[in-house]
Amino acid sequence: MKQVVTVKRRALAASEERAENLRSRFAASGTLVANLISSPGSGKTTLLEETVRRLNGEVTTAVIEGDVATENDADRIRALGVPAHQILTGGACHLDARQIETGIEDGGLPDVDILFIENVGNLICPTTYDLGEDFKVVLLSVAEGDDKPVKYPAIFARAEVAVITKSDLLPHVPFDLESVQGQIASLNPNGTVLTLSSLEGDGLEGWIDLLRSRLETKRRASV
Amino acid sequence: MGIAIEVYRTCRETVEAHGGGRLRQARLAVGELSAVEPELLAYAWEAVIEDSPDAGAELVIEWCPADQRCASCGEAKERASGSWMRLCPDCGMPLEVRGGNELDLVDLSFETVDNVSDEGAKVAG
Repeated sequence: MKQVVTVKRRALAASEERAENLRSRFAASGTLVANLISSPGSGKTTLLEETVRRLNGEVTTAVIEGDVATENDADRIRALGVPAHQILTGGACHLDARQIETGIEDGGLPDVDILFIENVGNLICPTTYDLGEDFKVVLLSVAEGDDKPVKYPAIFARAEVAVITKSDLLPHVPFDLESVQGQIASLNPNGTVLTLSSLEGDGLEGWIDLLRSRLETKRRASV
Repeated sequence: MGIAIEVYRTCRETVEAHGGGRLRQARLAVGELSAVEPELLAYAWEAVIEDSPDAGAELVIEWCPADQRCASCGEAKERASGSWMRLCPDCGMPLEVRGGNELDLVDLSFETVDNVSDEGAKVAG
Protein backbone atom coordinates (compact mmCIF):
# COMPACT_ATOMS: atom_id res chain seq x y z
CA MET A 1 0.00 0.00 0.00
CA LYS A 2 1.32 3.41 -0.91
CA GLN A 3 0.91 6.14 1.65
CA VAL A 4 1.57 9.86 1.35
CA VAL A 5 2.31 11.59 4.61
CA THR A 6 2.29 15.35 5.03
CA VAL A 7 5.10 16.09 7.41
CA LYS A 8 5.91 19.82 7.58
CA ARG A 9 8.75 19.19 9.97
CA ARG A 10 12.23 20.63 10.08
CA ALA A 11 14.48 18.21 8.22
CA LEU A 12 17.02 18.43 11.02
CA ALA A 13 14.25 18.03 13.61
CA ALA A 14 15.90 15.21 15.55
CA SER A 15 19.13 17.16 15.85
CA GLU A 16 17.35 20.42 16.66
CA GLU A 17 15.26 18.78 19.41
CA ARG A 18 18.46 17.54 21.00
CA ALA A 19 19.88 21.05 20.82
CA GLU A 20 16.76 22.41 22.54
CA ASN A 21 17.11 19.81 25.30
CA LEU A 22 20.69 20.92 25.79
CA ARG A 23 19.57 24.54 25.87
CA SER A 24 17.03 23.77 28.64
CA ARG A 25 19.68 21.93 30.57
CA PHE A 26 22.13 24.85 30.26
CA ALA A 27 19.36 27.27 31.26
CA ALA A 28 18.66 25.23 34.41
CA SER A 29 22.33 25.22 35.41
CA GLY A 30 22.78 28.88 34.40
CA THR A 31 25.62 27.92 32.06
CA LEU A 32 26.56 30.32 29.28
CA VAL A 33 27.56 28.37 26.16
CA ALA A 34 29.66 29.73 23.31
CA ASN A 35 30.20 27.76 20.09
CA LEU A 36 33.53 28.77 18.50
CA ILE A 37 33.80 28.30 14.75
CA SER A 38 36.67 29.13 12.39
CA SER A 39 39.01 27.63 9.84
CA PRO A 40 41.88 25.51 11.22
CA GLY A 41 44.73 27.54 12.67
CA SER A 42 42.93 30.82 13.28
CA GLY A 43 43.60 30.70 17.01
CA LYS A 44 40.55 29.17 18.70
CA THR A 45 42.50 27.10 21.22
CA THR A 46 45.00 29.86 21.99
CA LEU A 47 42.15 32.31 22.60
CA LEU A 48 40.49 29.75 24.89
CA GLU A 49 43.73 29.20 26.82
CA GLU A 50 44.02 32.93 27.47
CA THR A 51 40.31 33.21 28.25
CA VAL A 52 40.15 30.48 30.89
CA ARG A 53 43.40 31.79 32.39
CA ARG A 54 41.92 35.27 32.78
CA LEU A 55 38.58 34.06 34.09
CA ASN A 56 40.20 31.67 36.56
CA GLY A 57 39.06 32.37 40.13
CA GLU A 58 36.22 34.59 38.91
CA VAL A 59 33.95 32.15 37.07
CA THR A 60 34.17 28.41 36.46
CA THR A 61 34.78 27.22 32.89
CA ALA A 62 34.95 24.00 30.90
CA VAL A 63 35.78 23.25 27.28
CA ILE A 64 34.55 20.70 24.76
CA GLU A 65 37.04 20.27 21.94
CA GLY A 66 36.05 18.93 18.54
CA ASP A 67 38.73 17.58 16.24
CA VAL A 68 39.14 14.94 13.58
CA ALA A 69 42.08 13.42 15.48
CA THR A 70 44.31 13.80 18.59
CA GLU A 71 43.68 14.93 22.16
CA ASN A 72 46.10 17.84 21.71
CA ASP A 73 43.60 20.63 22.25
CA ALA A 74 41.92 19.10 25.32
CA ASP A 75 45.39 18.47 26.80
CA ARG A 76 46.27 22.15 26.37
CA ILE A 77 43.16 23.18 28.30
CA ARG A 78 43.59 20.52 31.01
CA ALA A 79 47.16 21.73 31.53
CA LEU A 80 45.58 24.93 32.85
CA GLY A 81 43.54 23.01 35.43
CA VAL A 82 40.28 23.46 33.51
CA PRO A 83 38.03 20.45 32.77
CA ALA A 84 38.04 19.58 29.08
CA HIS A 85 36.65 16.79 26.95
CA GLN A 86 37.90 15.89 23.49
CA ILE A 87 35.39 14.72 20.90
CA LEU A 88 37.06 12.89 18.02
CA THR A 89 34.91 13.01 14.93
CA GLY A 90 37.04 10.57 12.96
CA GLY A 91 36.69 12.53 9.76
CA ALA A 92 33.41 14.38 10.22
CA CYS A 93 33.78 18.12 9.65
CA HIS A 94 31.47 19.45 12.39
CA LEU A 95 30.01 18.72 15.82
CA ASP A 96 26.32 17.96 16.36
CA ALA A 97 24.07 18.10 19.42
CA ARG A 98 24.21 14.35 19.95
CA GLN A 99 27.99 14.52 20.37
CA ILE A 100 27.67 17.35 22.88
CA GLU A 101 25.17 15.32 24.94
CA THR A 102 27.38 12.27 25.10
CA GLY A 103 30.53 14.40 25.40
CA ILE A 104 29.27 16.00 28.62
CA GLU A 105 28.48 12.55 30.06
CA ASP A 106 31.64 10.79 28.86
CA GLY A 107 33.87 13.65 29.90
CA GLY A 108 32.17 13.89 33.30
CA LEU A 109 32.09 17.66 32.84
CA PRO A 110 30.75 19.54 35.88
CA ASP A 111 28.12 22.31 35.68
CA VAL A 112 30.12 25.48 35.12
CA ASP A 113 29.46 29.17 34.53
CA ILE A 114 30.78 29.20 30.97
CA LEU A 115 31.10 26.22 28.64
CA PHE A 116 33.13 26.78 25.50
CA ILE A 117 32.63 24.45 22.56
CA GLU A 118 35.48 24.56 20.09
CA ASN A 119 34.07 23.23 16.85
CA VAL A 120 36.04 21.35 14.20
CA GLY A 121 38.11 23.81 12.14
CA ASN A 122 35.78 24.56 9.22
CA LEU A 123 33.89 27.68 8.14
CA ILE A 124 31.08 25.87 6.34
CA CYS A 125 29.46 22.79 7.89
CA PRO A 126 29.42 23.78 11.60
CA THR A 127 27.29 26.77 10.56
CA THR A 128 24.19 24.59 10.14
CA TYR A 129 24.31 22.65 13.42
CA ASP A 130 22.72 24.02 16.59
CA LEU A 131 24.58 22.75 19.66
CA GLY A 132 22.27 24.34 22.21
CA GLU A 133 24.64 27.29 22.51
CA ASP A 134 23.72 30.83 23.52
CA PHE A 135 25.74 32.28 20.68
CA LYS A 136 28.16 31.39 17.93
CA VAL A 137 31.54 33.06 17.73
CA VAL A 138 33.35 33.14 14.40
CA LEU A 139 37.11 33.73 14.42
CA LEU A 140 39.16 35.03 11.53
CA SER A 141 42.91 35.57 11.80
CA VAL A 142 44.48 38.44 9.90
CA ALA A 143 46.80 35.97 8.15
CA GLU A 144 43.85 34.31 6.42
CA GLY A 145 43.14 37.23 4.09
CA ASP A 146 40.66 40.06 4.15
CA ASP A 147 37.97 38.68 1.83
CA LYS A 148 36.89 35.75 3.99
CA PRO A 149 33.60 37.19 5.33
CA VAL A 150 32.19 37.66 1.83
CA LYS A 151 33.58 34.30 0.68
CA TYR A 152 32.09 32.38 3.62
CA PRO A 153 29.08 34.57 4.33
CA ALA A 154 26.75 32.15 6.14
CA ILE A 155 28.82 31.83 9.30
CA PHE A 156 29.48 35.57 9.47
CA ALA A 157 25.76 36.23 9.03
CA ARG A 158 24.86 33.76 11.79
CA ALA A 159 27.53 34.33 14.43
CA GLU A 160 26.56 37.01 16.96
CA VAL A 161 30.20 37.69 17.65
CA ALA A 162 33.08 37.88 15.18
CA VAL A 163 36.62 37.94 16.54
CA ILE A 164 39.50 39.06 14.33
CA THR A 165 42.54 37.32 15.82
CA LYS A 166 46.34 37.65 15.59
CA SER A 167 46.16 41.44 15.37
CA ASP A 168 49.86 41.51 16.33
CA LEU A 169 50.54 40.31 12.76
CA LEU A 170 48.78 43.30 11.17
CA PRO A 171 52.04 45.14 10.38
CA HIS A 172 53.34 42.07 8.53
CA VAL A 173 50.42 40.94 6.39
CA PRO A 174 48.18 42.65 3.84
CA PHE A 175 44.86 42.86 5.70
CA ASP A 176 42.42 45.74 5.37
CA LEU A 177 40.87 45.72 8.85
CA GLU A 178 38.29 48.38 8.04
CA SER A 179 37.13 46.51 4.96
CA VAL A 180 36.70 43.28 6.95
CA GLN A 181 34.79 45.07 9.70
CA GLY A 182 32.55 46.56 7.01
CA GLN A 183 31.95 43.18 5.35
CA ILE A 184 30.95 41.61 8.66
CA ALA A 185 28.70 44.56 9.54
CA SER A 186 26.85 44.26 6.24
CA LEU A 187 26.40 40.49 6.64
CA ASN A 188 25.26 40.81 10.23
CA PRO A 189 24.16 44.37 11.05
CA ASN A 190 23.38 43.49 14.69
CA GLY A 191 26.56 41.55 15.43
CA THR A 192 29.63 42.49 17.45
CA VAL A 193 33.11 42.61 15.92
CA LEU A 194 36.20 42.43 18.14
CA THR A 195 39.88 42.61 17.19
CA LEU A 196 42.49 41.06 19.47
CA SER A 197 45.82 39.34 19.88
CA SER A 198 45.80 36.34 22.22
CA LEU A 199 49.61 36.32 22.32
CA GLU A 200 50.13 40.02 23.04
CA GLY A 201 46.92 40.55 25.00
CA ASP A 202 45.69 43.55 22.97
CA GLY A 203 41.90 43.64 22.85
CA LEU A 204 41.47 40.60 25.10
CA GLU A 205 39.74 42.61 27.83
CA GLY A 206 36.95 43.49 25.38
CA TRP A 207 36.33 39.79 24.74
CA ILE A 208 36.43 38.95 28.46
CA ASP A 209 34.03 41.84 29.22
CA LEU A 210 31.65 40.56 26.55
CA LEU A 211 31.64 37.13 28.22
CA ARG A 212 31.09 38.68 31.66
CA SER A 213 28.17 40.71 30.39
CA ARG A 214 26.61 37.75 28.53
CA LEU A 215 26.97 35.61 31.67
CA GLU A 216 25.34 38.31 33.79
CA THR A 217 22.41 38.48 31.34
CA LYS A 218 22.07 34.70 31.40
CA ARG A 219 22.10 34.59 35.20
CA ARG A 220 19.42 37.25 35.42
CA ALA A 221 17.29 35.31 32.93
CA SER A 222 17.62 32.01 34.81
CA VAL A 223 16.78 33.44 38.27
CA MET B 1 26.63 14.71 3.72
CA GLY B 2 25.78 15.18 7.39
CA ILE B 3 22.61 16.97 6.39
CA ALA B 4 21.61 14.20 3.98
CA ILE B 5 22.04 11.69 6.82
CA GLU B 6 19.86 13.81 9.12
CA VAL B 7 17.19 14.25 6.42
CA TYR B 8 17.13 10.51 5.88
CA ARG B 9 16.92 9.91 9.63
CA THR B 10 13.94 12.26 9.88
CA CYS B 11 12.28 10.44 6.95
CA ARG B 12 12.79 7.07 8.61
CA GLU B 13 11.41 8.32 11.94
CA THR B 14 8.33 9.62 10.14
CA VAL B 15 7.77 6.40 8.22
CA GLU B 16 8.14 4.35 11.41
CA ALA B 17 5.69 6.66 13.19
CA HIS B 18 3.14 5.83 10.47
CA GLY B 19 3.47 2.08 10.65
CA GLY B 20 6.75 1.55 8.79
CA GLY B 21 7.53 0.67 5.21
CA ARG B 22 9.75 1.45 2.29
CA LEU B 23 10.42 5.11 1.50
CA ARG B 24 9.68 6.06 -2.13
CA GLN B 25 9.94 9.83 -2.21
CA ALA B 26 10.68 12.73 0.13
CA ARG B 27 9.93 16.36 -0.66
CA LEU B 28 12.22 18.88 0.99
CA ALA B 29 11.91 22.68 1.05
CA VAL B 30 15.36 24.27 0.88
CA GLY B 31 15.69 28.01 1.47
CA GLU B 32 18.12 30.27 -0.31
CA LEU B 33 19.54 31.31 3.08
CA SER B 34 19.78 27.78 4.50
CA ALA B 35 23.41 27.48 3.35
CA VAL B 36 22.50 24.16 1.74
CA GLU B 37 23.39 23.56 -1.90
CA PRO B 38 20.58 21.53 -3.54
CA GLU B 39 22.78 19.77 -6.09
CA LEU B 40 25.28 18.65 -3.48
CA LEU B 41 22.49 17.55 -1.17
CA ALA B 42 20.90 15.48 -3.95
CA TYR B 43 24.27 13.87 -4.61
CA ALA B 44 24.82 13.13 -0.91
CA TRP B 45 21.29 11.73 -0.67
CA GLU B 46 22.10 9.17 -3.35
CA ALA B 47 25.14 8.07 -1.38
CA VAL B 48 23.17 7.84 1.87
CA ILE B 49 20.33 5.69 0.55
CA GLU B 50 22.35 3.60 -1.91
CA ASP B 51 22.99 0.78 0.55
CA SER B 52 19.92 1.32 2.71
CA PRO B 53 16.62 -0.59 2.57
CA ASP B 54 15.23 2.52 0.86
CA ALA B 55 17.60 2.42 -2.12
CA GLY B 56 16.08 4.25 -5.07
CA ALA B 57 13.99 6.65 -2.96
CA GLU B 58 13.74 10.00 -4.66
CA LEU B 59 14.56 13.33 -3.02
CA VAL B 60 12.55 16.20 -4.53
CA ILE B 61 13.88 19.62 -3.61
CA GLU B 62 11.66 22.71 -3.58
CA TRP B 63 13.74 25.87 -3.78
CA CYS B 64 12.53 28.74 -1.57
CA PRO B 65 13.95 32.15 -2.49
CA ALA B 66 14.97 34.56 0.24
CA ASP B 67 12.28 37.03 1.31
CA GLN B 68 13.96 40.12 2.68
CA ARG B 69 12.44 43.54 3.20
CA CYS B 70 13.72 46.97 4.02
CA ALA B 71 11.84 48.58 6.90
CA SER B 72 12.98 51.98 5.74
CA CYS B 73 11.95 51.72 2.05
CA GLY B 74 9.04 49.41 2.95
CA GLU B 75 9.76 47.19 -0.04
CA ALA B 76 10.90 43.65 -0.72
CA LYS B 77 14.54 43.63 -1.79
CA GLU B 78 15.92 40.94 -4.03
CA ARG B 79 19.04 39.17 -2.98
CA ALA B 80 21.93 39.76 -5.34
CA SER B 81 23.17 36.46 -6.73
CA GLY B 82 25.57 34.79 -4.31
CA SER B 83 25.39 37.66 -1.84
CA TRP B 84 24.43 37.40 1.81
CA MET B 85 24.50 41.12 2.39
CA ARG B 86 21.83 42.13 4.87
CA LEU B 87 21.85 45.83 4.09
CA CYS B 88 19.39 47.52 1.77
CA PRO B 89 21.15 48.25 -1.53
CA ASP B 90 19.20 51.52 -1.81
CA CYS B 91 19.27 53.07 1.65
CA GLY B 92 21.83 50.98 3.56
CA MET B 93 19.49 50.02 6.40
CA PRO B 94 19.48 46.45 7.79
CA LEU B 95 17.09 44.15 5.91
CA GLU B 96 14.45 42.16 7.73
CA VAL B 97 14.61 38.50 6.67
CA ARG B 98 11.20 36.83 6.56
CA GLY B 99 11.92 33.69 4.59
CA GLY B 100 14.65 31.67 2.97
CA ASN B 101 15.93 29.72 5.97
CA GLU B 102 13.80 26.65 5.19
CA LEU B 103 15.20 23.16 5.52
CA ASP B 104 11.87 21.42 5.97
CA LEU B 105 10.55 18.01 5.11
CA VAL B 106 7.26 18.81 3.37
CA ASP B 107 5.86 15.35 2.74
CA LEU B 108 6.93 11.86 1.87
CA SER B 109 5.47 8.77 0.31
CA PHE B 110 6.22 5.21 1.30
CA GLU B 111 4.93 1.71 0.75
CA THR B 112 3.72 -0.27 3.67
CA VAL B 113 4.84 -3.88 3.93
CA ASP B 114 1.34 -5.40 3.75
CA ASN B 115 -0.29 -5.95 0.39
CA VAL B 116 -3.50 -4.00 0.87
CA SER B 117 -4.02 -1.89 -2.24
CA ASP B 118 -5.03 1.63 -1.32
CA GLU B 119 -3.22 3.95 -3.72
CA GLY B 120 -2.54 7.48 -2.60
CA ALA B 121 -4.17 7.27 0.84
CA LYS B 122 -3.53 10.52 2.65
CA VAL B 123 -2.56 10.54 6.27
CA ALA B 124 -2.28 13.85 8.09
CA GLY B 125 1.09 14.26 9.78
